[in-house]
Amino acid sequence: MVLFWVSMRRVLIIFSGLLMLIFVGGFWISGGDAVRSRAIIFCQAGQIHTLDPAGMTWMQDIRAGLALWQGLTQYNPTTLRPIPGVAKNWTLSANGRTYTFHLRRRARWSNGDPVTSANFVFAWKRMLQPATGAGYVEMFFHIAGARAYFDALAKTRGRPRPFSSVGIKTPDLHTLIVHLNAPCPYFLDLMAFPPFFPLNQQSMARFAVRNGASFSYYNLRFTRPPYLVTDGPYRLTAWKFHQYLEFKPNRYFWARSTVHCRELRIVSFSDSLSAFRAYQSGAVDVLSFVPPEFTAALLRQQQAGLRHDVHYRPVFGTYYYIVNCARAPLDNPLIRRALDLAINKKQIVDDVTRLHEKPLTVLVPPGTIPGYHSPHGLAMNVPEARRLMRRAGYPDGRGLRPLKFLTNDTDSMNMLVAQAIAQMWQRNLGVRIRIATEESKAFNQDCVQGNFDIARAGWYGDYMDPTTWLDLFVSGNPNNHSRFTNRQYDQLMERAESKADPARRLALLTDAERLLVDRYMPALPLFQYTDGLMYHAREIGGIRSNVRMITLLQYIHWKHRPHGDTYR
Amino acid sequence: MTRFLISRAAQSVLVICVVYTCTFWLLMAAPGNPFIGVKQPPPAIIHALKVRYGLNNRWHAYWAYPWRVITRGDLGPTISYANWTVLDVIRSSLPISVSLGAMALLIALWLGVGLGMLGALTRGHWPDLALTVGSLLGISVPSFVIGSILLLVFSTYWALLPSGGWGDLAQVILPAGALAVGFLAYIARLTRIGMLDEFSADYVRTARAKGVPPGRVMVGHILPNATLPVLSFLGPAAAALLTGSFVVEKIFAIPGMGEDFVNACLDKDIPLVLGIVMVYTVLLVAFNLLVDIAYVFADPRISLHG
Repeated sequence: MVLFWVSMRRVLIIFSGLLMLIFVGGFWISGGDAVRSRAIIFCQAGQIHTLDPAGMTWMQDIRAGLALWQGLTQYNPTTLRPIPGVAKNWTLSANGRTYTFHLRRRARWSNGDPVTSANFVFAWKRMLQPATGAGYVEMFFHIAGARAYFDALAKTRGRPRPFSSVGIKTPDLHTLIVHLNAPCPYFLDLMAFPPFFPLNQQSMARFAVRNGASFSYYNLRFTRPPYLVTDGPYRLTAWKFHQYLEFKPNRYFWARSTVHCRELRIVSFSDSLSAFRAYQSGAVDVLSFVPPEFTAALLRQQQAGLRHDVHYRPVFGTYYYIVNCARAPLDNPLIRRALDLAINKKQIVDDVTRLHEKPLTVLVPPGTIPGYHSPHGLAMNVPEARRLMRRAGYPDGRGLRPLKFLTNDTDSMNMLVAQAIAQMWQRNLGVRIRIATEESKAFNQDCVQGNFDIARAGWYGDYMDPTTWLDLFVSGNPNNHSRFTNRQYDQLMERAESKADPARRLALLTDAERLLVDRYMPALPLFQYTDGLMYHAREIGGIRSNVRMITLLQYIHWKHRPHGDTYR
Repeated sequence: MTRFLISRAAQSVLVICVVYTCTFWLLMAAPGNPFIGVKQPPPAIIHALKVRYGLNNRWHAYWAYPWRVITRGDLGPTISYANWTVLDVIRSSLPISVSLGAMALLIALWLGVGLGMLGALTRGHWPDLALTVGSLLGISVPSFVIGSILLLVFSTYWALLPSGGWGDLAQVILPAGALAVGFLAYIARLTRIGMLDEFSADYVRTARAKGVPPGRVMVGHILPNATLPVLSFLGPAAAALLTGSFVVEKIFAIPGMGEDFVNACLDKDIPLVLGIVMVYTVLLVAFNLLVDIAYVFADPRISLHG
């Protein structure tokens, strides 16, 4: 019996000791370093997915990218118009198709190397390799010969074209000449966007992955400290997966004097509630979003003067529904128009989302693009909608099959909006809707494959031009999920593309959008997204409000530190 | 013993193979394409990415992943966090989940056994009744409710402890507590029932008749036998706790493996899901094996040859 007891006790003690050991070991490995009080803690809505500029499509990645790199141009923090970046100036040829960029001799990488035109050519060539897997490769197809070069590489058979066939030339280390297929008024805007950032090929050489003898792609470990070399305001000094990224000023940055933040930490939380709690407790200084669960309440408090840290505004994004134009009965534009006319958009933003966003009858948010005049679109008109349904042969919805409405589960609001609109259609037109919710990846795939009648959509503009929306409805565009094809529309878009005069070009684009929102309705616009940040403006400066919610971390700094020198 | 170990090891390998196969084919059958986001890249890009991740051919991929693990010890890069390999992700999140789980299990084990003893000793009186009700609540109330209550009381109202995060010892207390409660309650019940069963056993009567003091009978004689069911519960409990709880990690903003797992499933990040499922499986199998061995030491009635 004594032996027995000793064994049991031993088992329990060994087990507990083991657990203690595991705890101490695990904690020691995973524990973070203390945050110094001078660091600004910037909380993003989601984790960083990649720091490879070629793969950046998420807002949080782009924001970090803009803090680490600088392209030929950079954004003006308020207007977002392109201003000189690595390029100190440029010229545009008379036909609007050739840009000559002159690079700053003072531009330096974070390892001290000069930034040269070869760095741009290297990065752009890499973008055009299908093996790089660049999501935004199509932005490069404005450059002469780029599409043909990419397509030739994408084919498994046939000879690849030489890179010299692409309209990118470097007469010397500080000059870069780019030939375009057609005038592109927002090309300078694109030059500030991550896919066009330069890359430091020397520091990446050791990460080349070879397939047999031939080079195939770069192992993305090159984006992690201490390997990552960047040419922007900050350099990446630490990256603890899932915990934080640490940025410190790049002392070689040519505009070093504009960077006043000595240490910046980028964090994210798995849900907005924990993020908000951390912000409220002072563990986070800036929230790059307003928690959707509390937005309405926070805005009310702000209006009542109880708080001053909610910075909220309409942004360059549209919440809309796409209609599958390739599938009966919605291939009939009359029904699509009737659906649009029967939605009370004001009621959606007042009673369903309750954030009082701006209801939209057009796709491009009005007033966001200088010089662009939005068409009118359709105002709610139920009698007219019912008349259109009769004309289409479905009086009071009789004879119409139930329509499949597809939404994703990223935001609980999507479902509420869908239910409210389904009810309006049922009541006003007798149209029955079957709502299906899917997780994002399945939803995206079903949108691509056209497994829907009507689907939720949201789009944030990538550059300040109407085409960032209007291209979505051009025949053959892979993002044209509504499968809308219209010759008149395609011709208008083509004519606009070849116009060198910006005003006439924008007028043609207005005509094109009018076709979409007055007549053919491949999409039903609902409202303009609103978005915001939370921070105390008396503590933190340098955050400029702009319509694309691009917070340029370059300018962020402490105005007044409330915590003194205490550690948090 | 050797024969026992060999046969159990073979069974474990079989279990791991079956789990891998099921996970792989379920992932392949699930709808959605990991390479399509809101903005759809051209087909050539999607194809190139599939080739890079070895997903362009299902059968090839099925064999490629185990082969990679054997030859390189890794599943390659994840899809949704392309800068990090599956090994990187597990290496960064597993220690967190494991140390949090170890602390939770320590709390659950010692408090659970202690409270179970207390309940057995005061059978029928108010401490026992309170414990019975309390443990019932502890088992049935989900950890996210307990976590939220702990947060509300200790972080929001009294501001004694931080609301979340990882890296500081104070940040461990609340999540470990929230994670422990359910297991603690279960262990307390097991101990209490075990002890009550042993009270009337012959060897207890003998010990008492020999004049062994009641305290020593309790701790020295009854407890070792009474905690045997606890021991068998510890195997699965350890595996469950050490691999992380998505809910508790989410509430307390802890960057552990539970969250990575759920995100990986939603993103259809096939290599990462496979990696985490394999870690979970190996831990579960290993802990069950350990418990089986521990049983042999703890209870001579269990024979390996029987």
